[in-house]
Amino acid sequence: MIRGTVVGQVWATRKARGLDGQTLLMIAARDADGNPSGRLVVAADVLDARTGDEVTVAFGSGARNVLRPGAENRDLLCDAAVAAIVEGEG
Amino acid sequence: MILGRVIGEVWATRRDPRLGRAKLLVVRPQGLYEPAFGGRHLVATDDVQAGIGDEVIVCLGAPARASAGGNDTPVDAAILGVVDRVDFDAGLMLAPGAAPGIKRPFSIDLTAGGRR
Repeated sequence: MIRGTVVGQVWATRKARGLDGQTLLMIAARDADGNPSGRLVVAADVLDARTGDEVTVAFGSGARNVLRPGAENRDLLCDAAVAAIVEGEG
Repeated sequence: MILGRVIGEVWATRRDPRLGRAKLLVVRPQGLYEPAFGGRHLVATDDVQAGIGDEVIVCLGAPARASAGGNDTPVDAAILGVVDRVDFDAGLMLAPGAAPGIKRPFSIDLTAGGRR
C-alpha cells in the first residue's frame, strides 16, 4: 500500500461491469518522506473518504478485496482502492 | 488505476488466441504516470466501447488480466471507464511540504478532458 492525499473525484457514467455506482477518487501519492511524489492514481473508495483526507491505497489484486472480499471477485476491473483513512502517524 | 486519453487503435488479426476479439486501444497516460517500460503510451483492452479522444480510466496489472477472460491472457492494461468529469483541487497537490520549484506537479490536461 502507499500513502496519499485525496485531491479530487472522477466521474464516469460508462464503467465496466461490477463498478456501477462505485466512487472513484483521485489520489496524490506521497513519497517515503510524506511529500507529494508527483504521481497520481485513481482509486475506488468504499470508506467515504473526502477531498483532503490522508489515505492508504491498496494496489493490485488486493484492491479487489476492498470492493468485494472473497474468491468471487476476479472479474472486478479494479487495481487500486482506498484501504484506510489515516488519522495519525508516528 | 490511472487516467489517460485514447489516441489510437491497433488492429491485429494474428494474435495470441487468449486475447480473443478484444479491441486494443492506444492510451496516452495523463499526469506524471509513466509506464515502467517508457514510451509514454500503453495499449489497453477496451471493455466500455471507448473511442479516440475519450478520457478514460485504465486498470493495470493482474486485475486487468483477469477481466480479459482468465488469468492466462497476455493483457496488463484494460480500460474500465470513460470519464465524464474530474473534480480536482490542485492546491492539495502542493501542500504540505511540496518540493520547491514544483508549481504544477501534474501535466494532466483538465481543461480539455476534465470537464465536458
